[in-house]
Amino acid sequence: MTSQLKLTRRGFLAGTAAVGALSLAGPSFAASKTLNILSHRVHQTSLGEGDADAMKDWKAANDAELNWTTFDSNPLMDRLFREASLSSTDFSVGYMVDNRPTSEIAKLFEPLGPWLEKDGIEEFDDIAPGLVQGMTVDGNLIGIPVRTATQALFYNEARLEEVGISAPPTTIEELVEQARKVTESGKATGMILASDLAVFPVMFARAYGGDFINKDFELLPNKEAMEKGLTTLADMFKDGSLPKSYATTKNDDQVTWMQQGRAAFTVLPFARAAQLNNAEQSKYPGKIKAIGFPGSKDSTVPMASVVEAWAMVIPANAKDKELAWSFIKEVSSKKNTLVMALNGNGPARVSTFGEAELTAKNPLAAVEAEVLAQARGAFPPFPEAARAQALFLEEVQLAVLGRKTPAEAVAAIESRVAPLLPS
Amino acid sequence: MAELGDTMKARTLWGVIPLLAPVQLLLLSVIIIPSIYVIWLSFHVSSFGQSATFVGWDNYIRVITDPAFHSALINTVIIVVVAVHLELLVALGVALLFNSGLKFRRLLLVAVLAPYAVSEVIAVAMWRFLFDMDVGPVTQALQALGLPILEWGYDPMHAMIMIALLTIWMHLPFTFIILYAARLALPSDLYEAARIDGATAWQSFRRITIPLMGPAILVALLFRYIFAFRLFSEVWLMTQGGPARSTEVVAVYLYQEAFSYNAFGTAAATAWIMVIVSLLLASGYIYLLRRQVNANAK
Amino acid sequence: MRNKRLLNLLKTIAVLAIVVWSLFPIFFIVVSSFKAGHDIFAVPTKWFFEPTVQHYQKLVSAWPVFFSSLWNSTVITAGATALAVIASTTAGYVYSRYNSRLLNASIVYLIGVRLIPPIVVTLPLFPIVNWLGINDTHFVLIVLYATFFVSLGTVLMRTFIDQIPRELDEAAAIDGASRMTILRKVIVPLATPGIIAVAVFVIVFAWNEFLFAFIFTSTNAKTAPLVVSEMIGSIDGVDWGVLFAASTVQLLPVLLFVVFMNRYLVAGLTAGATKG
Repeated sequence: MTSQLKLTRRGFLAGTAAVGALSLAGPSFAASKTLNILSHRVHQTSLGEGDADAMKDWKAANDAELNWTTFDSNPLMDRLFREASLSSTDFSVGYMVDNRPTSEIAKLFEPLGPWLEKDGIEEFDDIAPGLVQGMTVDGNLIGIPVRTATQALFYNEARLEEVGISAPPTTIEELVEQARKVTESGKATGMILASDLAVFPVMFARAYGGDFINKDFELLPNKEAMEKGLTTLADMFKDGSLPKSYATTKNDDQVTWMQQGRAAFTVLPFARAAQLNNAEQSKYPGKIKAIGFPGSKDSTVPMASVVEAWAMVIPANAKDKELAWSFIKEVSSKKNTLVMALNGNGPARVSTFGEAELTAKNPLAAVEAEVLAQARGAFPPFPEAARAQALFLEEVQLAVLGRKTPAEAVAAIESRVAPLLPS
Repeated sequence: MAELGDTMKARTLWGVIPLLAPVQLLLLSVIIIPSIYVIWLSFHVSSFGQSATFVGWDNYIRVITDPAFHSALINTVIIVVVAVHLELLVALGVALLFNSGLKFRRLLLVAVLAPYAVSEVIAVAMWRFLFDMDVGPVTQALQALGLPILEWGYDPMHAMIMIALLTIWMHLPFTFIILYAARLALPSDLYEAARIDGATAWQSFRRITIPLMGPAILVALLFRYIFAFRLFSEVWLMTQGGPARSTEVVAVYLYQEAFSYNAFGTAAATAWIMVIVSLLLASGYIYLLRRQVNANAK
Repeated sequence: MRNKRLLNLLKTIAVLAIVVWSLFPIFFIVVSSFKAGHDIFAVPTKWFFEPTVQHYQKLVSAWPVFFSSLWNSTVITAGATALAVIASTTAGYVYSRYNSRLLNASIVYLIGVRLIPPIVVTLPLFPIVNWLGINDTHFVLIVLYATFFVSLGTVLMRTFIDQIPRELDEAAAIDGASRMTILRKVIVPLATPGIIAVAVFVIVFAWNEFLFAFIFTSTNAKTAPLVVSEMIGSIDGVDWGVLFAASTVQLLPVLLFVVFMNRYLVAGLTAGATKG
């Protein structure tokens, strides 16, 4: 109780300090330098706080303070690009998701090749080459990969056992069947998926060997597979295996539903395992497990899960690029990659998955490494990607809710998205 | 006295410019100049990392021919027409109820005012929770009573009803107070005279209350039109325009263009279309109503 | 007689309905903030439960930023109110006491400006604010909030000052008082109800505003509604108990304020409605 009271007071003091700093028209921090970082909150928390702060030594050595500004993914990208397009910005490091760097965007950020040559990162080759490739635009490396979020199929073991299922599904057909069984038992909903992310319909299309937009900017490379994927989702919705609230379900809801046992299956990044099984929040601690998302029994192509990667970038108009690079170098070290992985961050280094400390703490690491080997982004970056995703999701929702047939939706996706692709 | 008034005028406005300056400066720098820049922007194609290129009326044509914009515009008009008028009727009813003599009037007035103090963010959190399709207390109560529940996460119609209910909840205090204050200001001897002449309650409502409250009703409507037309937070935080963009309103469309797709040119064009349409909507309606009120008053 | 009783019954039902409609959502959130975690989502809804302050404790321990954001909201609200009140009072005085074609025309412009939706100006304001180096400061929100209220504020103050007899300031002028002295010694004391009414509007607006705060602040000047919205989109999933606790803390002061100031609110809207 006392410690909590102290925290409030600290909170108030922080507020007062901010006002004080403002009236003096200049920041007055203890350290002589401040590095302003623009990120998602997970990036900050994965580096640890307080005594577990992985950057403690770096801060002391550089006499610098870290000042994190965190946003949710979409507003974060908007803010980062906005800051980078000003004449100068206070933010020297930003975190960028890998489906955003188009040629136009890449121009706003510092090419990191020369920095890497001058002052290299420890075992740079160890950072997954595919991820590095994704951050190389027009021949310039603009970001150092730092986080991967590989999608997994999570299932609530207890919920499955209640309806007599002893093993998780190995094909998508089994998954649909098991979800239906849970739904029919009336104890929980089969599956919970957010409707505002392209990840999920893309995963379902890939289960049948299809895709939305592949690496070569081919739209709907296998239309039949996309149709099958949407049909599966629509049937699940009709059965009640997806909740009626599907169209307004968000990513956060997936976590809440799984923790409360309201749904038996969901698709989330492997790194969420700890949170889903957190005894303080979850009604099913230790019972929510993960496997790779299963492909169709008829599909000849191996299932490629969706992976989202984040990289650290330096805005070209940043003020302190030296300090920014020093920070990036430090965060990318083997040691810190492991620390972040232990804190639930999907590592960008291949070797980290094999670290004994990680495999001991996180039994999923091996599975995750295996799924990651086959995984790729939901779709490649291009200028109108955000709009294309919105159109895609609109049609998917119409198909799932039964307002259009999957065939009509696929035809509409084709005709509406095609004009947005880069020529 | 008259001479003094004249001298004040004669000294012209120069002397009072410092008193007017703060307001004018604020409006000029925060609203007027940025709006002019938005006009310039609306004739250009612009995004991050890309310098603006002049494209003439292209952005306007793109927006006006975009089916998504049409549905956003229709949704906005539906909300404006249905929600605002429903709200007006309820507010008028409550105002007359209060005027008819109530016990604990001050206390009840405060109760009706309460939603005015609630932030949009918190109001949306409240309503999302109360109407949660699975565990929401209101949903459960409706189910227990055997009534149909509001499937706002699934049925676009229900989602629109939900948004309409929420805006009415948030803005009823405002409309109510305007109408209530206007009703209080009506002289009671008019009603006395009407009663002596043998007018029924309905007749005096029709012949006295409505015409005399006309200006206040107009003001309430004007304000609410303007505010309902820029409706954003309620929709954005509640449904994000879903399911399948079926509840998207113009301000959400604008936000998407600007902040999701980074298409600043079309966003700017949408902004100006928004300003002009709301202006037309408000002025046209006000003109009609004013004419009617004047005719009634005669 | 029976008719009258029926009418009274109907009236009572109507009053009950409107009170439940207005207060139930607020009441429910406040009550739920004292429910234990598993009671919040209990089906059927629990009406009787053992109250707990666990969510408030967690709010204090896990969200220190919420309390600094309350402080930010306080500073910004106070600043915006002071700026809006001063600007509106001086301008309202001029509009009330002076007469010219230009002045009358500018009233139309004053109101016309309000037709421009705030979201429109966010687009160009961002680079301007950055260029001035005032992003993420209390100052920028103070200016923005005040600006979006000076139109209404000026019109309101004009109406209130119109009610003060001109003879009073003319008498003071004959005694040799300067314009500023008249404003300070004659107008302001007599227009206090109007000033309070304007202040009430700005305070409620600035305390609750979301869009501008979302776009123009990041850490130093983050306001309370922004932190509440972060709780809704928190990466750990929504912790409804803490969300309700934070909502209660954010809501209660301004709710009490509106309750105590309801007279001025009514007076302000009356003036705005009849003359605006």
